[in-house]
Amino acid sequence: MNRLSGIFWSLLFLAVPVLGVATFAIAPAIDVWLPKDVSEHGPAIDGLFYFILALTGVVFIATEVLLFWFLWKYDAANGDRPATYIHGSHTLEVVWTIIPAATLLFLAIYQMNTWADVKMRRPAMAPSVEVVARQFEWRLRYPGRDGTLGTPDDLFLVNDLHVPVDEDFLVQLKSMDVLHSFFLPNLRIKQDAVPGMKIRVWFKATETGQFDIVCAELCGWGHYKMKGRVTVESREDFDQWLESQYARQNATQPEADPSTAVARTE
Amino acid sequence: MSIATTPSTVRHEPAAPAPVPHHGSFLSTYVFSKDHKVIGLQFLFSTLVWFLIGGLLALAVRWQIAWPWSDVPVLGKLFAQEGGQMAPEFYTMLFTMHATVMIFLVIIPILAGAFGNFLIPLMIGADDMAFPTLNMLSYWFMWPAFIAFGASFFVEGGAASSGWTSYPTLSTNVASSPGSGWGQTLWLLGLTFVGVSSMLGSVNYMTTIILMRAPGMTMFRLPMTIWAMFITAVLQAFALPVLTAAGFMQLADRTLGTGFFSPEGNIVNNWMQSTGGGQPLLWQHLFWFYSHPAVYIMILPAMGMVSDILTTFARKPLFGYRPMVYSIAGIAGLGFIVWGHHMFMSGMNPALGITFMVSTMMIALPSAVKTFNWLGTVWGGRIQFTTAMLFALSFVSMFIIGGLSGIFMAATPVDIFIHDTYFIVAHFHYVLFAGTAMGVFAGIYYWFPKMFGRTMNEFWGKVHFFLTFIFMNGTFFTMHILGAVGFPRRLADAYHYETFHHLQPLNAFMTWCAIGMVATQAIFAANFFWSMFFGPLAGRNPWRSNTLEWTAPSPPGHGNFDFQPIVHRGPYEYSVPGVEQDHLMQTDPPNAAAAALAAAH
Amino acid sequence: MPHASMMRSAMHRHPVTIIAILGLCLLATGCGQTPPAYFRPNMVEATKQRLTPDQEKQVATVLLAMFGTPDEPVCMPETGLDEAKLRLAAGPVRSDIVGRKNGLYREHCAHCHGVTGDALGPTAAFLNPYPRDYRPGVFKFKSTERADKPTHTDLVRLLHNGVPGTSMPSFALLPSAQVEALAEYVKYLSIRGETELTLMRAFFELDDEAQGKLPETREFLVDETLTPIAEKWKAAADAQIQVPPMPADIDLVASIAKGKELFYGDKANCVKCHGVTGLGDGQANDYDDWNKAIVEIGKEISSGSAKARETSTSGMSPDELSEHRAQLAWIEKFGRVLDGDALEPRTIPPRNLRHGIYRGGRRPLDLYYRIHAGINGAPMPAAKGTVPPEEIWHIVNYIRSLPYELDGELGADKPMLAKDRF
Repeated sequence: MNRLSGIFWSLLFLAVPVLGVATFAIAPAIDVWLPKDVSEHGPAIDGLFYFILALTGVVFIATEVLLFWFLWKYDAANGDRPATYIHGSHTLEVVWTIIPAATLLFLAIYQMNTWADVKMRRPAMAPSVEVVARQFEWRLRYPGRDGTLGTPDDLFLVNDLHVPVDEDFLVQLKSMDVLHSFFLPNLRIKQDAVPGMKIRVWFKATETGQFDIVCAELCGWGHYKMKGRVTVESREDFDQWLESQYARQNATQPEADPSTAVARTE
Repeated sequence: MSIATTPSTVRHEPAAPAPVPHHGSFLSTYVFSKDHKVIGLQFLFSTLVWFLIGGLLALAVRWQIAWPWSDVPVLGKLFAQEGGQMAPEFYTMLFTMHATVMIFLVIIPILAGAFGNFLIPLMIGADDMAFPTLNMLSYWFMWPAFIAFGASFFVEGGAASSGWTSYPTLSTNVASSPGSGWGQTLWLLGLTFVGVSSMLGSVNYMTTIILMRAPGMTMFRLPMTIWAMFITAVLQAFALPVLTAAGFMQLADRTLGTGFFSPEGNIVNNWMQSTGGGQPLLWQHLFWFYSHPAVYIMILPAMGMVSDILTTFARKPLFGYRPMVYSIAGIAGLGFIVWGHHMFMSGMNPALGITFMVSTMMIALPSAVKTFNWLGTVWGGRIQFTTAMLFALSFVSMFIIGGLSGIFMAATPVDIFIHDTYFIVAHFHYVLFAGTAMGVFAGIYYWFPKMFGRTMNEFWGKVHFFLTFIFMNGTFFTMHILGAVGFPRRLADAYHYETFHHLQPLNAFMTWCAIGMVATQAIFAANFFWSMFFGPLAGRNPWRSNTLEWTAPSPPGHGNFDFQPIVHRGPYEYSVPGVEQDHLMQTDPPNAAAAALAAAH
Repeated sequence: MPHASMMRSAMHRHPVTIIAILGLCLLATGCGQTPPAYFRPNMVEATKQRLTPDQEKQVATVLLAMFGTPDEPVCMPETGLDEAKLRLAAGPVRSDIVGRKNGLYREHCAHCHGVTGDALGPTAAFLNPYPRDYRPGVFKFKSTERADKPTHTDLVRLLHNGVPGTSMPSFALLPSAQVEALAEYVKYLSIRGETELTLMRAFFELDDEAQGKLPETREFLVDETLTPIAEKWKAAADAQIQVPPMPADIDLVASIAKGKELFYGDKANCVKCHGVTGLGDGQANDYDDWNKAIVEIGKEISSGSAKARETSTSGMSPDELSEHRAQLAWIEKFGRVLDGDALEPRTIPPRNLRHGIYRGGRRPLDLYYRIHAGINGAPMPAAKGTVPPEEIWHIVNYIRSLPYELDGELGADKPMLAKDRF
């Protein structure tokens, strides 16, 4: 009975790497995985994610399987061999200190460039839009025809960010009240909006489509409600949309057809 | 224990008088006791009660995540008009208080207050702590914290609701969140009391361990539990003052009109804020400067205990004792220079994203070394699958997961995507629950005989372990996947986003596992209380372990030991060749065969 | 003690007993479901009208028959509402996300506006400004004349844009069908609320024959009470303000100058409230209608209770005495109702026009509506009749220029602060 229980427990610990790997294998297959990426720097980030996943996966499988193996083999009910009286191994300590240290250091250095690209190497351009986060919405302000923010021809919108495809896009991010975080999952962008600070976020979208803007820093009861939408479209469509928004914003007469009063969404 | 055949080099200490039965009132014996064991048990019982409360808060959180806006059991009565549907600000309060209770009222006090208090004098051979009165105060300072946090649920606006991280300006402005009124003020007060309690404890532990070790107990003969407690105490002493100061600054911002964390020109909920000139980021730096070492405070003692339990039930010396000690010190030391990894997206200078990435990657190293050494300890042993051993083994297995997932977050570019998602939640629940809490259970099953003189029921203990293990992994493992999808934290309802709306079934599954996990703890509670009164009597050393506490009676009386312990060897002399027993206690007289072997090594 | 040792040995043999007992305790703590959501009666009005419990019950029964419950709405044809839309908006939020058919109002609106539309949801007290209470049937931001109801398009636009500067979010990202359903449900709640008010006030006009009971005839309930309310909603579409076009060749600079004159002048007298700086600091002591009602009641209660306390009861006849006691009881009840069923009154500050945040919309058209008709329910008066239409356009142009008027002072020669460097 004792050996049986030892087998049972060892197998329970074997279930960890087995089910762990299975979960990570099944998830992408059923589309519960990284969302579609449509940004220029996204592949670098995803690539790093996969690289670390592979590395940690190997270590995970190796260590957990070793643990299972040791529990199976060195069960006191499995034979009469006495325990090995050993206080350690200097060689092993050196080996398993140096190799992980080198690996981790390599990992750290390997990623510096991607980080710098996304967060430090700002393109030299005027902001394409100012995003002011507020409880509980994203207030957008496009600079308008004159290209300068803060002039009477600015375009004001809420939650509806449009971005021309294949162009550098610079966001000036502010907050009116508390911390929020500008998270575009499909563009692999995240940046906290800090009250009192003006922070630049830049990216280049590579495919058209409509994607979520999510608030990723607790900002109060409506944190879950701060849903925005980013629409990536061709330059022509973008310009056309801007013009239609100007017309709306400067309307001096109600719409002839009330059903066109607001943009329809499905 | 024979006193014969002692070489002349061994000192003879006069035997301490046998423990005197304590004559005192009920109050001074059981309530305001200065005996470290009673204080330790007081901590234990209080924290276990708060563990239940924190767990129930978590279930309410999980309910909302799985079935948003549905009728919540029990708590739905608070929202009768809406048919039981909880309000969104209530949700923010739930996860804030779940984390607050678990971190400040459960994990830290149970590790340092319960186990630290109970074990330190016993394992180093002292009769009590260096400062018994201070020790008593460190427990009683928790009570104002219990009252502050408990009362905060009932004040106007409810309990704190800006996350346990309490970032300004959400937390400093009553206008920004209902819980940021009285709830947040009480939260800060509670935090201050917890901080004072911890500081009193840490001073006590450091002094006791340095000055009150039994003769022969050199630093490098200390069991790993004590090394861990010692280094944790150092961490507490250096990191806590920063949190306390930050807490006072936030309290001042909220009550005295200062503006440490409030920028100018802020308009919150349509009210123009009058103070200004401050920086929200300042809080984050100060808070994380403490809270990162805090997470090591929340795991190092468990690591120490696991080392002791693994060696006992593998009947083998610890593999790499000194590397293990240096690793704990390394984790603690490095722990002071990694706090910025909580702030990669915060808007701080991005160059810091590089420096903190390097230091954070490096802190994985000592943890890896420890894991390898634990594997080395288990290798070649004679493993006994007791309940304590199972929990200790699961600590190792789960810590591997928690530690490896940390590497993703250390990678700053990857953190751009996974920051504030369930990947982070998975990581810290693996290290804190699947890690530390499993270590705590291991410690309870292991030291219960010493605390109460009886052993817990092994069968039900294993049932408890099995069910907890299954349900826990069911609840938390798939959180890694959720995080990979980008599922954000702290959202009362994520399914109205295109990116997340297909994740409800998975979350429902996780909630069912969470309910199972909390329900399973009833088995532990039953076993714990029943065994306390009706469990089989334990004797001094039921596990045949080596460390000093197992030479004392179970439970030890006032003064702990029958005779002054004298230490002749390290704590892990199991299966020593040439010795008939498979363990050689620290206080056993010097043994010629073992000495020869030690010389040969 | 034999009993204790028996118990002990029983527990010794059956630790499972303990687990079973613990389990039962857990279940007993309340696994039961919460009763369904319910409409909250308008206690402020009921108390104001001194309704007896029977009368309150009668109103509730009538409303139940005419309007149903939050889960099961009743849609009488006289209301002119679309039942399918109401069903989409009503009911508990379904947790089967795929194929969900209802619960929109509860999901998106109820926690601020209340299940009853009375602005007494759990979050309401913490918001500034308070959410709208639909029951009086007064709405601020619309395209119709001051006393008229908003059009359906007005409501849809408001849901679409939100109310900038308040906690009312934009629902532009919801599918149109859902926005339509929500707008319809808001009307439903408003009609229900106004019907409730009318019914409660009707008790005052009953003659003695009625014995304190309202007639439960179709004629009274539907034709005389419900229909006039519903008609006002239906009439809104035709009550839109006719806006003369702004001349296409208008000289903007001159228009702004003229607008400034009018802003400071006596005819429009905007500075009286909005301040000579336009910062909204002209005066700060007025209330909007919803808060004013509570303030007034509060004054009545405190003066009534002061008077009642001063009145000496000696020398009162039994009738007078019972009346006096009833008055005291009523005052006390009202105090409790104000505590539990009403929000703490707040003054309404005039809009800070330098911010560039316009709650009712930022189009020139929206600003025209606000000035022409004023803001129903708020102290903002209607300029209609006082200020001719083309002059309103000048004021609109001036207001639109206000946020930018001081921009020139934020010069490029100011040093860049550290926080702006990244």
